[in-house]
Amino acid sequence: MSSLVGFISLSLAIGINFFLLFSYFFLKNKNYNFNLIVRLSSVLTLISFFSLMFSYVTSDFSNFNVFQNSHSNKPLIYKISGTWGNHEGSMLLWISILSIYGFLFSITKVADLKFKQLTLVIQSSLHILFGLFIVFTSNPFLVNSVIVKEGLGLNPILQDPGLAIHPPVLYAGYVGYSIIFSLAIAGLLNKNNDDEWLYIAKKWSLISWTFLTGGIALGSYWAYYELGWGGWWFWDPVENISLMPWITGLALVHSLLMIRGEQILKKWIIFLSILCFSLSIFGTFLVRSGILTSVHSFAADASRGLFILLIFFIITGFGFLVFLLRTPENSKPINLLFVNKVSALVINNVLMIITTLTILLGTIYPIIIEVITNDRISVGGPYFNSTVIPIMMPGFLLMSVAPVLSWQTNRLRNAKLYVLGFMIISVVVLIQSYFTTFNTWGVLGLILGVWIIVASIISIFSSYKIKFSYKMLQKINPHIAHIGVGIAIVGITCSSVFKEEYDYNINEGDKFRIKNTFITFQKVETTNEANFQALRANFLIKKDEKLVANIRAGKNYYPVSKMITSEAGIFHEWFRDIYFIVGDQKDNNWFIKIYINPFVSFIWLGVLIMVLSGFIGVTKK
Amino acid sequence: MKLNHSYNKFILIKLILIFFFVDVIASELIDEKVKKLTLELRCMTCQNQSIYDSEADFSNDIKKIVRKKFQEGKSEKEIKDFLTNRYGEYILFKPLLNYKNLFLWAFPFILLVFSLFFFIYRIRKR
Repeated sequence: MSSLVGFISLSLAIGINFFLLFSYFFLKNKNYNFNLIVRLSSVLTLISFFSLMFSYVTSDFSNFNVFQNSHSNKPLIYKISGTWGNHEGSMLLWISILSIYGFLFSITKVADLKFKQLTLVIQSSLHILFGLFIVFTSNPFLVNSVIVKEGLGLNPILQDPGLAIHPPVLYAGYVGYSIIFSLAIAGLLNKNNDDEWLYIAKKWSLISWTFLTGGIALGSYWAYYELGWGGWWFWDPVENISLMPWITGLALVHSLLMIRGEQILKKWIIFLSILCFSLSIFGTFLVRSGILTSVHSFAADASRGLFILLIFFIITGFGFLVFLLRTPENSKPINLLFVNKVSALVINNVLMIITTLTILLGTIYPIIIEVITNDRISVGGPYFNSTVIPIMMPGFLLMSVAPVLSWQTNRLRNAKLYVLGFMIISVVVLIQSYFTTFNTWGVLGLILGVWIIVASIISIFSSYKIKFSYKMLQKINPHIAHIGVGIAIVGITCSSVFKEEYDYNINEGDKFRIKNTFITFQKVETTNEANFQALRANFLIKKDEKLVANIRAGKNYYPVSKMITSEAGIFHEWFRDIYFIVGDQKDNNWFIKIYINPFVSFIWLGVLIMVLSGFIGVTKK
Repeated sequence: MKLNHSYNKFILIKLILIFFFVDVIASELIDEKVKKLTLELRCMTCQNQSIYDSEADFSNDIKKIVRKKFQEGKSEKEIKDFLTNRYGEYILFKPLLNYKNLFLWAFPFILLVFSLFFFIYRIRKR
């Protein structure tokens, strides 16, 4: 029943959007309310989404999608998140968020009504494309042809609170770029609109980027504690794909901030707006088509992949075509000097684009090679580390002082103070590293991270009189975001370069010591949980003779899908994580692996600051 | 994220000590070599995990093979060649620098140099 409701409302929503498109181009009388139609289609799409969720929550196995991806003994939260834990449901989530953005845009104030109509029409066209994709290739409302009592279960690795909320947050980022795309195209087509859209796009781009940041961080944090590999970023194609629109979105956010200055890099902003959404769709294509695992698995079921590829070409092609045909004239030539704010921004934009292209190339190169030569090659972490990091480093260096550079001149106020600060930090880090372990990347990363934090603090105190108010916070917000970046860089550097690891083969009851921390491997227990069996080893952690924590690490066995997941135990401290992995057992001897990840919490702290400052930026007028 | 793991700075002290504890030092050097190489190898039975980080049977076997080859005095390149002959280039996370991958390696830096020159040209022109 709920499947039927879901399918009908999904189809109706598409139909309504068709009507909107048709009437815009063919009906002369445009007095009807565009906003209301868009809102109606959003409501219908959401009804469709929630009816699928209802099927999941009630374990309605007459729905084929629910049967394939759910099980009645799953906890409620994973029944809800199961809605988007599969291809069909996640595409429904995608289009629901698309329509939410349409709804939100329809209730925002826009002075130029014609322009608003056009934007909504473009957003509706996107809705139609993805709606048809769902109906024809990924329908989540198919009826199960046999009557069954039980479902096949959700992939256990997805049964985790972090991953339950990761897709909605990530999609809120990806799909948010759709509204910027629509705005940019409408802005190009509607020449009378005097750059109003740029000011509107500023907010939306910041919202999308902030959600994308949060989504990527959630995924990364999940990988850290759930995969049990001790790391948090693996340059996996799926990670790369989310990073590309993130970087171009970052470039877009910064370019849009330029509107406050005198010059407008209009062409560039439009280009980035189209690029961001194109990369989002391209990422969806790569993930959803299965082409990443192998060209052959793509060929096995090509209909979905080809359909998304078609959507990608239509949207990207249309976008860039409009861009080429109706390129705006530059109102003024941009004022490039050796170091002023404009050139700093241009340089960093270029670096971000090069980074994005490098990641793109590295991600699809194995596919290209396989298609041409039939050889399989890997492009993994070592490639990205040795290309992306050196390219980004000058960008980070520039970023530290960019907010205080002048628009017009080559001068930097208090330049001496900054130079002095940089030198002191470099010397301190060098001395510190000489007495511990020297590592080139470690030193460079630490200097950069600390320098960005210090430079931002210097800028705050030298440019503003500090008062404690929300307005003040809005003013210094850019610096705060940069402090977040600095903190994250310190975390990234330390946790990857100065990571230590220890292997043990020990019995229950054994004790060992890592520096000043005494650890007791107490005992191993197995328990039966709702839908899995848990094996947990207990570790007592003592410092200065005091018990400070009791950490449990182990594995889960999910009988429904016959899978074992590793459950790392993490002892969080401010300046390091102690990360426990329990391995195999050989006659009472357990293999225990322990990572010491210094400063890893700084990464999450830094990202949190960036996200918060993103939201503060949205509230700014 | 893994960055390059550089060698210990106390090379000189090591050289002196080598005369006294040849065995210990040698095995420590081999440990570092094995770590550096296996970090750049893909565990073929896992999902995007390096052989060093993985505890899968496949990875443990390869770790043993790599260690043995280093003990026999084989160079890193020889071991890589051996492994690619056996498992294909897919096992290397860091693609080889050959004709096929030239574009992959050159592209980012060409782009970087090109935009640098363009930027200087634009400033000069003003």
